[in-house]
Amino acid sequence: MTPQSPQAPAQKMEIGRRGFLATAAGGLSLGFFMPPANRVMQAASPIYEQLNAYVRVGTDGSIALAFGGAEMGQGAMSGLAQILAEELMVDWSQISVQQALVDPVVSYITGGSSAVSNGYAPLRLAGATVRELLIAAAMVLQRDSKRANYSAASAVVTYTNPTTHAIATWTYGSLAVLAASQPVPANIPLTDPSKFRLIGQPVQRVDIPSKTDGSAIYGIDVRIPGMVFASVVHCPTIGGTLASTPVKPPGAIAVVPCTASDSRGVVAAGSVNAVAVVATDTWTARNLVKGLSLKWNLPPSSANIDSAQILALAQQLVTTGTPIVAEPNNPTPPAAVIEAQVASAMAGAKKTVDATYTLPYLAHSTMEVMNCSVNITFTNGTASSCEVWAPSQAAAWVAGTASAITGVNPNLVTVHTTFLGGGLGRKIEQDYISQAVQVAMAVKKPVKLTWFREEDIAHDQYRPFALVHATGGLDASGNIVAWFYRNVSPSILLQRGWINPGDLDSSGPDGAVGLGYALGTHVVEWVPLPAGIPVGFWRSVGNSINAFVVESMIDELALAAGIDPFTFRYNALTDPRARAVLTAADALSSWRHSLPKGHAWGVAISQSFGTWVCEVMDVSQLAKGSLQVNRVACVVDCGMAINPDSVQAQMQGGIAHGLNAALWGQMTFTAGKANQSNFSNYRVMRIGEMPQITVQLVTSSGTPSGIGEPAVPPCAPALANAYAKLTGTRVRSLPFFPGAVMGGL
Amino acid sequence: MQLTLNVNGQNHSVTVSDGSMPLLWVLRDLIGLTGTKYGCGIEVCGACTVIIDGQREHSCVFDVTSAVGKKIITIEGLSANRSHPVQQAWIAHQVPQCGYCQPGMIMACAAAMMAGHHGPEILPEVQHICVCGTYQRIRDAVSNL
Repeated sequence: MTPQSPQAPAQKMEIGRRGFLATAAGGLSLGFFMPPANRVMQAASPIYEQLNAYVRVGTDGSIALAFGGAEMGQGAMSGLAQILAEELMVDWSQISVQQALVDPVVSYITGGSSAVSNGYAPLRLAGATVRELLIAAAMVLQRDSKRANYSAASAVVTYTNPTTHAIATWTYGSLAVLAASQPVPANIPLTDPSKFRLIGQPVQRVDIPSKTDGSAIYGIDVRIPGMVFASVVHCPTIGGTLASTPVKPPGAIAVVPCTASDSRGVVAAGSVNAVAVVATDTWTARNLVKGLSLKWNLPPSSANIDSAQILALAQQLVTTGTPIVAEPNNPTPPAAVIEAQVASAMAGAKKTVDATYTLPYLAHSTMEVMNCSVNITFTNGTASSCEVWAPSQAAAWVAGTASAITGVNPNLVTVHTTFLGGGLGRKIEQDYISQAVQVAMAVKKPVKLTWFREEDIAHDQYRPFALVHATGGLDASGNIVAWFYRNVSPSILLQRGWINPGDLDSSGPDGAVGLGYALGTHVVEWVPLPAGIPVGFWRSVGNSINAFVVESMIDELALAAGIDPFTFRYNALTDPRARAVLTAADALSSWRHSLPKGHAWGVAISQSFGTWVCEVMDVSQLAKGSLQVNRVACVVDCGMAINPDSVQAQMQGGIAHGLNAALWGQMTFTAGKANQSNFSNYRVMRIGEMPQITVQLVTSSGTPSGIGEPAVPPCAPALANAYAKLTGTRVRSLPFFPGAVMGGL
Repeated sequence: MQLTLNVNGQNHSVTVSDGSMPLLWVLRDLIGLTGTKYGCGIEVCGACTVIIDGQREHSCVFDVTSAVGKKIITIEGLSANRSHPVQQAWIAHQVPQCGYCQPGMIMACAAAMMAGHHGPEILPEVQHICVCGTYQRIRDAVSNL
């Protein structure tokens, strides 16, 4: 039950069932297909319907899952092993997890809170298939093919003679070779969920022990014999390019200009936007690269990288821009037609609330900065193979990046996915991978490239800024009868060329469509904002933006209607899962009826990645400019929980992350440059600011949905709703405390 | 410049280009003890915390020359087999998520215990940054130490 060093995938052999392959290579090895993250990732992935995960039963009795995704704290590595162990009929202590080497064609992206939810069905089937193959092997040895006479438990197959009741047993290891040559049975029986031993249990995570003694290897910890160390600086002005190659300073091994891997806003793919210095250690490399006298060419468009200008442009486009209708969507009416219908319904409303909300760009600021290690083998001066170690959410893309730069065939690129010191969506990007490969090509030595924090914050691919105009109309009874919603924000997908101009970027309105509320006549629109700041996927993506607006608006409407926020939501919510979650949260937050003086509560509920989360917050304000979140009642319906303790951890962590963003998170830009650079001016909470969170799980189905992201979206609106109750002031622009700074330790 | 450092009870001879090189990078890049983490480089996050002569120190700003002749303990040297009570508590409470900041948290707690602090008294000593938000479990883990 420990993470182990990677092994190469075994020899593949078709066994006639799509995506299932088995071999005998020191035992039984079975490969299977795990679907990648979400529709966006699937669209951007090459062929993916092939095997990309493996389970092995060794002749020595070892039982291992080769995990092809990224473990970044969300517990996926453990959760997947738990599902496999359940159907394989082995004890939790009997299974180990190995980080699989990437297969560049089929490895999957870790994102969209999908690792466990997408892996559930294939892992159950894989575990059950291996179990049945092992039993089939025992049938051969016992010469009795009646399945009912066999059982499996704790990695042992047991045969019970139906008449004599005599028993024969075989360990999985002793059956492994024979099992590999058995035909896969036609009907693989799955375990009845009421008999689950491991699924649903709070087992200890496999990765945690190594995270308490320094032995967990993150990308930044990789050591290669003979390696050198690189540090990088980017043009401080986003979009700028290097004017002339600097002279190598004394003490440096090399100076390597680096090109941008991808086009993102004003940053053009292939432009030289950074310089790396290589030295004998990371700190020396950092000092040398900081000391370089660099000249950059700045394009005129860089001057538009400016928060005030972007806000002004959004304020203009919210009225003059061409909206793309996101909902209704079956069919999608012309914007003018549905807008007229909504306007008519709004005119008939008894009361209306009309508000504009703004949310800032956000950095990811993962604890582990961007880094990557590369070792290229050269034959006659030409790169002949390439090995990459990276904390990456997208190992297959890493292989593609390395192949494109080195010219090495993708089959000769090996990618080791290390532990990730946080991913949060940042580590699907290729910018830092590309730089490390470029440096390794230039110096022809194994190299580790590390960004310093200042580069990490100032050269991120940010959660987009957004401005949302929303109007809600109520009838005399307080029912919502009209709803107008227009989101103006930069397009993540358009910036990377994954959609065409004029197409809907689903990440723009995510969290504003498919709501569980009866909204009457309504329209949800998105207007792309052509700002040049690089944007990317940030934990929960569009949901973190739109849930803030939607759930703040619901509270504003409740206030206008003079109805309690819980009651208003009960009245408006039609989704049965949402209503059950709200009911549980109502009970779990019974403390809200007897809060001390100076406290107030707020509630918000949202669905993302198939999971409903409701959060109720108790806040108080000791001094102007600060806010204490005392406690949070959190109810989650993620279908079913594989590991309830991991679900609880993700709720706790997601709330902390959401509070960081709501209270202080903000990237601002002036004349092309980021104004934030480190945790000193990109503030996150410390332990004394962490509320006491109580998590309750609600089960609604037999399959799991996402847990890594859904706690984030309801956080900011619950806070704003509590704050409005506490102070009478409605916060419609995040963060609560812009410009917050953080002192040293 | 050649220096000898005593880390986890062993002497290590290292050659540094500059005596002001922070201990963090000597540990990580020159000695190969990578459990001590880089997070901010400016003494704000605490990920680089080690124990030097019984005191918690931020190795990202601790000149290597100042560490000569002192006893340095890193996360790798805190115990054999994760037997230190802080490590045991971290496993029992399933504290880490991504885990990157945890060596610093654990070392700060261990230093606080060495200084005679127990239970919630330890908390003021671990004002570190954890982006995953494991703080509630840290509070729980520390409560019985």
